[in-house]
Amino acid sequence: MSDSGTSQQADEAAGSAGGSPPRGRDLRTALMQPDGWRLERRLEVRPTYELYATVIALAITAVLIGLLVLLVGVSPFDAFSSLYEGAFGDRESALETLVQSTPLILTGLAAAVAFRAGVWNIGGQGQFIAGAIGTFFVYDMFPGLPAPLLIVAMLVGAAVFGAIWATVASVLLVRYNTNEILTTVMLNFVIDYFLSWLLSGVWQASNTPYSQTERMAENTYLPRFFDDSRLHWGFAIALIAAAFVHFMMRRTSMGFEFRAIGVNKRAASYKGINTAVSIVAVMAVSGALAGLAGAGELLGLHHRINFEFGEQQIGFTGIIIALVARLHPVGVIAVAIAFAGLVNGATQMQISTGIPAALVTVIEGVALVLVLVAAVACRYRLRRGAVHADESAEGSE
Amino acid sequence: MDTTPVTAPGNDILVAEEVTKVFPGVIANDAVNLNVRRGEIHCLLGENGAGKTTLADILYGVYRPDDGRVLLNGEPLDLHSPRDAIEAGIGMVHQHFELVPPMSVIENVVIGTGAKQWLDLSEARRRLEEFFADYDVEIDPDAEVGRLSVGEQQWVEIFKTLYFGVEILILDEPTAVLTPQGVDELFRILRQMRDEGLTIILITHKLREVIALSDRVTVLRRGEVVGTVNTADVEQRDLARMMVGRDVLMQADKAQHDTGEVVLKIDDIHLASDTGRGSLKGLSLDVRGGEILGIAGVSGNGQNALFDAVVGVRHPEQGTIRIADADTTHAPPHKVALQGVASVPGDRIAQGLMMDFSVKENLILGNQRARRFARAGVLNRAEIDRFADESIEHFEIKTPSASQTTSTLSGGNLQKIIMARELSGEPRLIIVHQPTRGLDIAASEYVRRRLIEERDRGVAVLLMSEDLDEIFQLSDRIAVIYDGRIDYVAEPEATSLEEIGLYMAGVVEAAGAAP
Amino acid sequence: MEDFFTYSVILGIFVATVKIATPLLIAATGELVAESSGILNLSLEGTMTIGAFTGFLVANETGSLWLGLLGAAAGGAALGLLMAVMTATVKVNQVVAGLALNILGLGGAFFWYRSVYDEGGAVALPTVDRFETVAVPLLSEIPALGEVFFDQHWLTYFAVVMVPLTFVFLYRTKYGLELRSIGHNPEACDMRGVGIISRQYTAVIYGGVMAGLGGAFLSLSEAGQFFPDIIAGRGWIALAIVIFGNWRASWILVGSLLFGFLEATQLSLQAQDVNLPYQLLLALPFILTIAALVFNRSRSRVPLALTIPYHRGER
Repeated sequence: MSDSGTSQQADEAAGSAGGSPPRGRDLRTALMQPDGWRLERRLEVRPTYELYATVIALAITAVLIGLLVLLVGVSPFDAFSSLYEGAFGDRESALETLVQSTPLILTGLAAAVAFRAGVWNIGGQGQFIAGAIGTFFVYDMFPGLPAPLLIVAMLVGAAVFGAIWATVASVLLVRYNTNEILTTVMLNFVIDYFLSWLLSGVWQASNTPYSQTERMAENTYLPRFFDDSRLHWGFAIALIAAAFVHFMMRRTSMGFEFRAIGVNKRAASYKGINTAVSIVAVMAVSGALAGLAGAGELLGLHHRINFEFGEQQIGFTGIIIALVARLHPVGVIAVAIAFAGLVNGATQMQISTGIPAALVTVIEGVALVLVLVAAVACRYRLRRGAVHADESAEGSE
Repeated sequence: MDTTPVTAPGNDILVAEEVTKVFPGVIANDAVNLNVRRGEIHCLLGENGAGKTTLADILYGVYRPDDGRVLLNGEPLDLHSPRDAIEAGIGMVHQHFELVPPMSVIENVVIGTGAKQWLDLSEARRRLEEFFADYDVEIDPDAEVGRLSVGEQQWVEIFKTLYFGVEILILDEPTAVLTPQGVDELFRILRQMRDEGLTIILITHKLREVIALSDRVTVLRRGEVVGTVNTADVEQRDLARMMVGRDVLMQADKAQHDTGEVVLKIDDIHLASDTGRGSLKGLSLDVRGGEILGIAGVSGNGQNALFDAVVGVRHPEQGTIRIADADTTHAPPHKVALQGVASVPGDRIAQGLMMDFSVKENLILGNQRARRFARAGVLNRAEIDRFADESIEHFEIKTPSASQTTSTLSGGNLQKIIMARELSGEPRLIIVHQPTRGLDIAASEYVRRRLIEERDRGVAVLLMSEDLDEIFQLSDRIAVIYDGRIDYVAEPEATSLEEIGLYMAGVVEAAGAAP
Repeated sequence: MEDFFTYSVILGIFVATVKIATPLLIAATGELVAESSGILNLSLEGTMTIGAFTGFLVANETGSLWLGLLGAAAGGAALGLLMAVMTATVKVNQVVAGLALNILGLGGAFFWYRSVYDEGGAVALPTVDRFETVAVPLLSEIPALGEVFFDQHWLTYFAVVMVPLTFVFLYRTKYGLELRSIGHNPEACDMRGVGIISRQYTAVIYGGVMAGLGGAFLSLSEAGQFFPDIIAGRGWIALAIVIFGNWRASWILVGSLLFGFLEATQLSLQAQDVNLPYQLLLALPFILTIAALVFNRSRSRVPLALTIPYHRGER
């Protein structure tokens, strides 16, 4: 299928009025403005416009951050080059950047899938935690399983737990029409405290005062690609997940329906798509992806859950990544690696230039704000003159 | 009948001179002249699309005319917004209420008024109570507006407007939401208001109301003024002729043939709508294979509910819908579609298409799980492309490619996409609503030809349209929907535009013409 | 367990309840006004962090806590202004804008703090003298009640006073009425000439100021210093309180006290080493908020146009 269906949901994400194209009375404003320059909504936002707008927004971000760095008294060139050095400067740091990007790709995909279907899953963070809980739950329940089977079972457990936690919100949405934005935000905290309870209770490792689980057996470790890097199979899983998401959204009947409810829920129901089922399904997929991210971090890096497990806010960062990537799976990979590079390079930057590593969060915030504004801006064009009948969709045959 | 404009200089309070308003593809008002006298009830009469509401919106500052001007008390009036109109003394109550449902009556009334920051409702309360007492309306000023009946909400809207001290009140189809008793009450009060000096412009398509209430009436047809007459001088039939009368009817280019079995049978369905407009109240009809049943009617009389009930988006509270042998009264849309039902909705953009999908994706919308287009849940792209190219060629859809974004296409091509999609499944019933609205002549003719072809193939076609020409041109039988019921069915040869117009306007109700 | 139910422990819990409720209440009453205008500001967490920081920064630089409060208000207003520009003018999706500014607020405060105070590396964390509690004459002498309610911080009294004031503003002034009608039906207001964008700016910036002051309570009255995680989820709890309180000022007060009480109780449980799952008490506010969403749905007072941007002429 073509890529033409993609702009809409990203617009939903980026801005405002979303699906309903101009009709009827809404010509009012345009018609009532006096002649002269005016903004006009485009009929079609080509993916290339979006790409340009995103690139321009990121360029402005770089300039603003450069100015900020200058304000702190460091040459922007030094700051950016040390940032780059730390992120991609050599093999070691580049591989470490990929390590950091692994969970971000998955939570980014989780957000992108849901947003594309018009479902505002802000609960990636909670589903990420649920995934880790699911992983450890399976580990705890089936100690006797042979390693390969156990790893598969744990990954499935993570996906299922993530999906279940997302389903709480989607069922409340389709059953009681509760705003999923609010419920998913609340559920993030609930699972956080649930994990905290597990860590200080039933799952608490013996002989330690800390809230943490036992270290998991070594046969549960996700294999690493290289001896000299922490890069583990989780990264491959993330890439496969991105391919899966792309395939699902563009090449399957279910993905078609997900995109359809994201574009025009009303027309979707007229054409026989069960919107409630689709909402629950897409939330489950989204939650499963975030859950996998939790499994990857646990099995690939940490090997135990402790109270710091969720602190990196990987679920929330995934939302930003999805939005900056305009909800494209491939874009999610690129943006996730870029964000991971920022995080990874920031340490280097702090050491060599003294700029606080917290600059990374500022960069993320500014980039997101500008990309969002750019996304809205590229849906309009500046024109001169009054509206004429022949400019509309209805009139021009 | 005297159809020359009645003018009486000095008496005119609001005058429109040669007002023209063009919307994309449509001339809504074509050099319209209107003069409204101080202290009269002036009806604007016409079918849907005649330009009544557009004219009123121009008088109320919602639109600016492309040409012509509006005079108030002889002075040119330059309105930029409804606020300007209100300040000039012109108020309007739209069909779509501008109320804040969770707030009380009195709060709704004072929004945007008053100079003091400290909210003082006592003045508003006093005037509200006085007003309600004067006109014998019983509404609690502290009641939450959202909990009032639609009729009561309309009172709040009217009073909200009067609270500004307007001299001219425009009402757009105010009786659509009222019970017969409510209509009587409204009319009593409107007369009283007129007698107290208010000028009232009432938009309607119901002849009875014009006769019962108005002093003068201006009839519009297709954006043009047919004439302004003193109501006392005319009969309902004269007005009906002015309203629907037109040039020679285009002859239907279709062969006679026999009809088959009943495909769609609707028996006494009731379906309430949220707003109170357009409910179904015991509607029955049947359509046979190989016939086009045309349903004429002014919009808001239940067409949307009928469409939704047949395709399964909403389900009737009472009554049954059968398609061939299957009872589909409570079947969801995809089950209904499996019975061989194709549907072309009235609002093609909101109900029929994914504007941001590609053309080919829209061509398979709803069939994304059909065996032809998907195996094991995976879309068969080669088959979809083949089908899309075939449809584009067969239905003459003008698009650069099958991958083009749908939103860039014209209205005619949008409709062709829907037609191509819906007819591809070889349906046995096609339900179409306003199939040619907003289309140019060539596209309209194309759509109509296709419908006739389907009928000739033995398909049952249920056609709902507000375009009477279209109804007469295509239908094998014509039914009229009015207030959620169908009480009149006739063959085109056995009826006339005028007759249909009378039923559409609710002049004759349940006159014994059984379906 | 018996030890837990002593007079002093329970009194301590109530005193702590009021303290904990203070920043929640300030931020929530501000958010109530913002949401009344139809704009959901999800960036409370970030805005409170900025407020906590700018408040601390100004207080530390000038030596005046009162100027610090002004600084906090300015910091909150700045983020509120950004939110208003993005949502009321550019009409970016409110949820996304809120998340973006949240990150900007958190990151910005942290970055700024580190660039100002962390240059040498291992320097002792700067502190300011905290606001003292202010005992209300006579009333503070009342046993128990006096200690709980009348020996608190200025900002606590301010928070409590803002509850009726917010109610009066929203329900007894022309501006408040117009604000609420915009939140429910902006088109109706537009048709009557009530300016929408200016009012939304006012409301959202006011919400930002209040969130900033709520943050400043933590840095200037409680901690006497700033650290990046100072807000620790309180912004989100404040958002939850607005929902829990069903967009009513009085219930927001109840919600703040209830959530404060749960937090105070769990702190006390932990301190006393009582073996109860204190996490349940921490999770309860969020569970109760979801329950409130479900159970209040038929009598919900949510602004009907919340999160829906208004474009003139679109229905």
